[in-house]
Amino acid sequence: MSRWRYFFKRLLLSIPVLFLVMTLIFVILRMGPLDPVAAILGPDAGAASGNRIREQLGLNQPLWKQYVDYMWSLLTFDLGQSWVVQENRKVTTLLRIFGPRTLWLGFWAILLPLFVGIPLGFYGGLNPNSWGDYLASSGGIIWLAMPNFWLSIMLLMVLRRSDGGGLFGFDWYTFGPNTESIIGSPPLDFFVLTDWASLGVLSVPTGVNFDPTGLFVAIKVILPPAIVLGSASMATELRIGRTAILETINSNYVETAKAKGLPSRVIVWKHVFRNAMIPLLPVITTEAFLLIGGSVIVEVIFNINGIGALFFQAATQGDLPLAGALLFIFTLIIIGLNILQDLLYTILDPRVGYD
Amino acid sequence: MAVAGCGQGNGNGDGNGNGDGNGNGDDPTATEMEGPVLATEAQKAQDAWEKYQNNQAPDQEEARNEAFVTVEEAVRDDMVLLPLYHRLGERFSYDWASVPKRGSLGSHRQQLQNATVDTSSDQKSENVLNLRNAPMSSLDPIQSTDTASGIVIGQMYENLTNYKNGIATQLENQLATEVEVSDDLLTYTFTLEEGVEYHKGGEVTAADFVYAFRRLAESPNSQRANFVLDELGVEHETETVTVTPTAEDGEPSEEERLVPGSLAVEATGEYTLEMTLMSPQPFALDILAYDSFAAIPEGYVGDVEGYDGEVTQDEFSTSVANGCGPFQLNEWVPDDHAQVDRFDNYHGSTAELDSVHWQIISDDNAYWTAINERNLDVFGIPTTFYNPDNVEAEQDDLGRQVGTYGPLENGDTVNYLGVPELTTFYVAWNVPQAPKAVRQAVAYVTDHQQLIDEVFKGRGQPAFSFTPPGMWPTGTDGYNEWVENWPYARNETDRESATQVLNEAGFTSDDPFEITLTTYDSEVFQQFGQITRDKLSGTGVSLNLEKAPFNTLISRGQSGELAFYSLGWIWSWVSPAYGLFGFEPKNTDTSTMPAETNGYYLDWQVGLEDEG
Repeated sequence: MSRWRYFFKRLLLSIPVLFLVMTLIFVILRMGPLDPVAAILGPDAGAASGNRIREQLGLNQPLWKQYVDYMWSLLTFDLGQSWVVQENRKVTTLLRIFGPRTLWLGFWAILLPLFVGIPLGFYGGLNPNSWGDYLASSGGIIWLAMPNFWLSIMLLMVLRRSDGGGLFGFDWYTFGPNTESIIGSPPLDFFVLTDWASLGVLSVPTGVNFDPTGLFVAIKVILPPAIVLGSASMATELRIGRTAILETINSNYVETAKAKGLPSRVIVWKHVFRNAMIPLLPVITTEAFLLIGGSVIVEVIFNINGIGALFFQAATQGDLPLAGALLFIFTLIIIGLNILQDLLYTILDPRVGYD
Repeated sequence: MAVAGCGQGNGNGDGNGNGDGNGNGDDPTATEMEGPVLATEAQKAQDAWEKYQNNQAPDQEEARNEAFVTVEEAVRDDMVLLPLYHRLGERFSYDWASVPKRGSLGSHRQQLQNATVDTSSDQKSENVLNLRNAPMSSLDPIQSTDTASGIVIGQMYENLTNYKNGIATQLENQLATEVEVSDDLLTYTFTLEEGVEYHKGGEVTAADFVYAFRRLAESPNSQRANFVLDELGVEHETETVTVTPTAEDGEPSEEERLVPGSLAVEATGEYTLEMTLMSPQPFALDILAYDSFAAIPEGYVGDVEGYDGEVTQDEFSTSVANGCGPFQLNEWVPDDHAQVDRFDNYHGSTAELDSVHWQIISDDNAYWTAINERNLDVFGIPTTFYNPDNVEAEQDDLGRQVGTYGPLENGDTVNYLGVPELTTFYVAWNVPQAPKAVRQAVAYVTDHQQLIDEVFKGRGQPAFSFTPPGMWPTGTDGYNEWVENWPYARNETDRESATQVLNEAGFTSDDPFEITLTTYDSEVFQQFGQITRDKLSGTGVSLNLEKAPFNTLISRGQSGELAFYSLGWIWSWVSPAYGLFGFEPKNTDTSTMPAETNGYYLDWQVGLEDEG
């Protein structure tokens, strides 16, 4: 089987997975202990309005019909509206408001550990059992052991006390671009599309307003929560990167390359790093899954109000239409990440598909 | 009622869940002659409530007050509900912000046109008052039920009457200039202020009120139709319609519906409004001060018969507001912030502030951070970060604590205002599932003061009655006497009396009565549960604890599945009846909830004589 055929097979396989997960979501939401009608009504409303809501939600339809409607509306991306958490707002509107914040946070929470964790791990692997290696490895273990909620609270406390120069002798608020607060949503309006031109059916942005200061502010605001959120990944990537390098360095082909007289720079860049990335890849993508779930607590403590916090509210307040739609989006993201992982494997590892 | 936003959803899935809530088979019921005593005072409560209803004239206030106290007595003696605490509303403010002192109805009843900030101070560059808010649900006055939305709505919309600064004793006319009540106490004639402008243009007229009240009663989006139809009791007609459900297996059912346009509210002139009630309502003007009775331009939203609407209800509840209040909507970004700007054509004295900005913050750590960054001008302090020793305050003539609090983490000392609020948080029982002795035993071991000191660092007032002391029907002396006579060991833990009353009913430490306390996600009630469980162990009651999300708790309560539960009540206007109506034993029948009855989930009607 060729590598690309393998990839497309994996792509096709994700379709039944998507159906299975959606069915599962349907079963959990419709048959679970939460009554969406009671959630919407609150403590003092009459039965008449209860029936009306039941009708609007389609809860008085036969179950099979509810199932078909539900699947169809999800597949056509008709996500409905929130009923409790943000009454009357369309889920797509909510995604447009809340989504970018989580994406911005997630982006930095994945990027930061990549650029800190992997280099440190590679450094440790290339210089095993040196003092630098010990420092990096044990630092990684301690970092990993600190839970996110605790780290968030500590970071908030240290940073807010730096107003006017604190514990560490620098003022976070005036460090780099000025910020008024270390909590709240990052201002994501530094990049605005102002004009659109239509080319046939396509709309093409022609006017772009980019504000570099705004970009720096948005980065600065997201840094503390991103560091917390990425902390666990950073440590894991460090540990696995180190092991992977050690294994590769001691493998036969590296010995052979050395014997051939290849310069060590070429050996490290062409043979060691590339092969060490193979075990790291699933770690990185798996961490990305975890970030979706893990972002809830960080978003709440830093008051970022992203998708994580929204989903938490929807789930705890019985807003089933919203919770279901968000679960569907999460499923899509996870399946997408899986496909991305397969794609990267296909590119990185020539052995993929041989069987 | 706010829903606590913490804790995982482990109310139902963790094994100790719902199984024992509805196992009625073993529970004694009222019809079993051998069973333990369930209720003896229900008839007394029923009679007292009927006495209140039959004495609505202004000169019969004494009889009404007597009836209220009698209901409280019946509740206390049967111990169907144990009040725990009345909340102390606290407000802290930095020196550069000045907001008039508010009253016991809560910060959501205070309009902010008289608030100022000192822009010459180092910390303020903009003439904007920065506040914090909880997540809001809706901007539509007839739809919102949470205080977070009410805070914002109250700045934009106005009513016929208003409690000035949320102070219970300062009910005043707002858009009405004159009110006349007919001799039979049923017809109210309001004269409206002329020349009051809406934010988006146009004048407030009597027809607008007719439309606004119709929306409140008829709109499918109304969450408070019962306020105008039942609480206020405006005359209206109903018709019986047959509803055919869309489901194939559903039976067509008959339903009582309000006849559109039949509400007895009429514009008799451009500025005169006439309203007719079904029976006298001594608190009518108080009820009209509630958010939902606000004026909106006639036909603005098309969700009642006969109007197309200029905006959809979706827009009206999320992005467009059109009232005549001192501030107009700038924007509301859900869960992030909301802002209102000064309305220059306001009919009263125009606001001093340019804007009021609410940062929406749910988490305590984030809140505390924003406070110490001086990004909030007026705020509360989360209990975790609160230190009772930092308060220095004196009582004013309205019973409020006025003084300073400090230092905060950033070293600042801020202004302090503590207001006893018209709220009652309580635990209550479903009578058929909890013998009287068990209920009384819990009352005996509950030490109110200890609970408040240990759980809330002293930020509350012990509650010995459902009606808060601030509106006790027989005044302060009457209330003090009531507290003196509290029969269940006031502010101490009396395990002896608890054991004795349980033993008499046949429950012993070897053969205890098992009961489950269901609380919603509230740290306070969970701690109450743990403390009470420990105090009860060995007396003859074995208490299990269980947690359920707020809305699950409500729906289980309505279906009569809760034996012992925790909830709170917040008064929307200053009438004991608004809290006590839920005790009328006939109104506590959970089998007819939520359609015909809407009392507390007590099933106290099993103690009525005519029910045998």
